[in-house]
Amino acid sequence: MKNLQELEEVLPNTYFIQVNGKRLLATKSKYPPFYGERKYGEYREWIPTRSKLSAAIIKGLRPKIKEDTKILYLGAASGTTVSHLSDIVEEGVIYAVEYSAKPFVKFLELAKERRNIVPLLEDARKPENYSGIVEKVDFIYQDIAQRDQIDIFIKNAEFFLKKGGIGIIMVKARSIDSTLEPEKIFKNVEKELKRKFDLLSKIDIQSYHKDHVCFYLRWRG
Amino acid sequence: MKYNLWCGEYDGKLKLSKDFAKSFAKAKNPSPVPEEAFEEAKEKVKNYYEVLRRVAIEVTERKVERELRREDRYVIMLVKALDELNEAINLLEEKYRDLVEVKTSEISEEFEERIRGLKELRRRIEREIDEVMGKIAPNLTEILGAKIAARLLERAGSMEKLAILPASTIQIIGAEKSLFKALTRIRKGKKAKIPKHGIIFQHPFIRSLPKRKRGKMARFMAGKLAIAAKLDYFSGELKEELAEEVRRKYEELARA
Repeated sequence: MKNLQELEEVLPNTYFIQVNGKRLLATKSKYPPFYGERKYGEYREWIPTRSKLSAAIIKGLRPKIKEDTKILYLGAASGTTVSHLSDIVEEGVIYAVEYSAKPFVKFLELAKERRNIVPLLEDARKPENYSGIVEKVDFIYQDIAQRDQIDIFIKNAEFFLKKGGIGIIMVKARSIDSTLEPEKIFKNVEKELKRKFDLLSKIDIQSYHKDHVCFYLRWRG
Repeated sequence: MKYNLWCGEYDGKLKLSKDFAKSFAKAKNPSPVPEEAFEEAKEKVKNYYEVLRRVAIEVTERKVERELRREDRYVIMLVKALDELNEAINLLEEKYRDLVEVKTSEISEEFEERIRGLKELRRRIEREIDEVMGKIAPNLTEILGAKIAARLLERAGSMEKLAILPASTIQIIGAEKSLFKALTRIRKGKKAKIPKHGIIFQHPFIRSLPKRKRGKMARFMAGKLAIAAKLDYFSGELKEELAEEVRRKYEELARA
């Protein structure tokens, strides 16, 4: 393709590319577009306003993900972010949990197309209900805008995360408490997370997603 | 200790199940499953991930279909049943009181027992409505609470119908009688009071405001509900901003 240039590899199969003078994040993919993103050659644009993980990577996050990383993904929704993770962990597996049936209809299309996604229509509050399906994983990713999202995260880590495994949680201030200042909430959340995790980095993605901060963590087990 | 894996049971040794789809649906355990169990499963199940993925897709597809299949009809029936039940309980309680005033007996005790049973059933129906509404209409439920949202749905007839209703209709749903009375009066050239709100009046955000502000609040809330209904029906994902905006509007009106 004309005017297409690979600039930098940030994760497996994940690149900053330059298209017609614009710098974009993209994943190399054998598959067609999934949620309305553009495809340039074999690169699938990873839109930061649609995916919080994309926003975090653009803001400097470099999570330790390899081709064969095993992921537990909580809050898969219709699969926008999962579709890119699926490009990244080509040899791995993604256990994708979502509670609500409606967006999962579209998600199932993705799960059928890809070979590394295990869809689970379950309540992430109750990891015991899928404990016989999900093995120990290297990485837990959570994007659930719920008041008890921190509890959900820790509970799942206790069930499934390997010692020293990593976690990413997208914290939405307003869904934890809409009356407090976001900064205050993020501080409380940080304290709570630090009880069980080492904080590797904290990334502000508010320029793409209002009231959101991304925490990148290591599980002390 | 015995563990339930998606492909069988493990108690130090793995016994594969005959029907993976069945054991998949029952793969629950109160505490984490030891890693050895999964290691053994990977040895015993050929093409482990491929098989797991296939079973997961099959089971999930069925589950999704079941959950989406006319769950709105189900809620509507529950709401209707709840109304009947309430009426019955009130009626029976009255008769019960009349009865014990005359004489307490074995029969009157049994009577009381039955009424208690009906109240328990009522609680269970309410919980079920909460749960199903949270699934099929997360946005409406977030704004109105499951009870009022379910009633709105009952009046509309289905999620599909509710999703295509204009905000103005949602605003006065449940107040049809006074609306048509008002319209008739207008047609005759008389003065009329057009209702400001129907079912949504039950919500504290409207009820607790002074009369002159209720119309404004109802109009705003109905606008957000129209969006919420469309979101619920077409996407199903929760967008808390809607409920948040309604709350802010209420605070603004309550203060002013």
